[in-house]
Amino acid sequence: MMKKLSRVLSPLLIAFLVLGSFSVAAAPQPAPSGSLVSTQDALSADQVSADRERINEMLSRQDVQDQLVAQGVDPADVEARVAALSDAEVRQMAEQLDDLPAGASVVGALVFIFVLLLVTDLLGLTNVFPFTR
Amino acid sequence: MSHLLERHAPRQQSERQAWNARTAGVLLLMAAFLLLSGCATSPRLASPGDMGIAERTYIDGVPFHAQRDYQCGPASLAMVLNHSDVDVSVDTLIPQVFLPNRDGSVQPEMQATVRRYDRVSFVLDGNFSSLLKELDAGHPVVVMQNLSLPLWPMWHYAVAIGYDLDEQLMTLHSGEEANRQESFRRFDATWARSERWSMVALPPGELPVSVGPRRAMDAIASFEQANDAEAALPAWHAVTERWPQDAMAWFALGNAEYSVGHPEAAAEAFQHATDQQPDMAVAWLNLGLTLEGLARRDEARLALQQAAALPSRWQDDADQALRRFSD
Repeated sequence: MMKKLSRVLSPLLIAFLVLGSFSVAAAPQPAPSGSLVSTQDALSADQVSADRERINEMLSRQDVQDQLVAQGVDPADVEARVAALSDAEVRQMAEQLDDLPAGASVVGALVFIFVLLLVTDLLGLTNVFPFTR
Repeated sequence: MSHLLERHAPRQQSERQAWNARTAGVLLLMAAFLLLSGCATSPRLASPGDMGIAERTYIDGVPFHAQRDYQCGPASLAMVLNHSDVDVSVDTLIPQVFLPNRDGSVQPEMQATVRRYDRVSFVLDGNFSSLLKELDAGHPVVVMQNLSLPLWPMWHYAVAIGYDLDEQLMTLHSGEEANRQESFRRFDATWARSERWSMVALPPGELPVSVGPRRAMDAIASFEQANDAEAALPAWHAVTERWPQDAMAWFALGNAEYSVGHPEAAAEAFQHATDQQPDMAVAWLNLGLTLEGLARRDEARLALQQAAALPSRWQDDADQALRRFSD
């Protein structure tokens, strides 16, 4: 759903931004304030198009917000959580939230796996059971 | 007779299959052990003298918060933030970093949550020696471990607070146990499964001892984006002090100074950037624009001409700015 929406919205937003920048270029005396190249832009060296990037960013931040709600996060907390993420982290969350390891310290496993893990614990390869050192 | 044979055949087959499966299982297990013990050796370390660290260290005063349920993420964050003089409880952090349906917390959000408390989150480079260096410098380190095997992962966050090179022991606040001592070998085996993810949380202006300029700047740029230039300014100053020959550091400082309304200081920083790296077009461009704002037109034109002459994706911007000087 989100993917489809973004496919439709991206070109539109790009078009608007491009049009927007044309009018700025035509303005007789644009104030230099606020038009410096940002550190974030300069740091992300291999950027094809800054505009496209920014739009994808907006869409994926929205996407990540939706994903967090789906993961059971209170909608009231979602906006602030996503705002604290960097662009790279937003991209990571948007693309692979389901694959990211979530630190929790539980293992869902069967009995024989427990035995196996007990052995690896005793060998000092794992640390599942608190009583092994 | 014929139907007897028919009944017999499948049983034989299934017995053979069971035997095959058992043999395969045993072989697989043996192979797994060989592989595992192959990669889980004690980390090889340079001598403490070469690393420039003490034989043993223990960071005093890192408060311990026992994890409840699956909340080792928020608990670990509370420990490092409290140690960095941020007054925040585990209960406050839970709705900010925990994912209820995953029963856990993910790394990007661990990094992001630190920023919400005016602390910069630096992800370390994943070397065992870097971890030791940070501990030696008095920085508690959040580490991610997989306490189990890759096939049935048991992801876990803990806070490393000390080590003993002689005894080969790591000290951690982990789970429900404060000051847990873990052998380097076991610790590294479980830590390696997260690709040795580790993070420190420091107030802007302090830098991890083990990071390079690029890693530091990425962390601070992310902090600046989530907060603002004023909060990040001390961090950029620290970066230019540590790496004065790094043009990007000066460039970032210039942007921060400009954003908080210090155009003179910004111009000076951009100037440093171009001194360090004369072909850094984007620094010339920002220098030119800043000088233009300061009505230092001649200097501004010179800087913009430099920016326009250098091949970069900001060439058009420079040309456009220069056109304002032609009439």
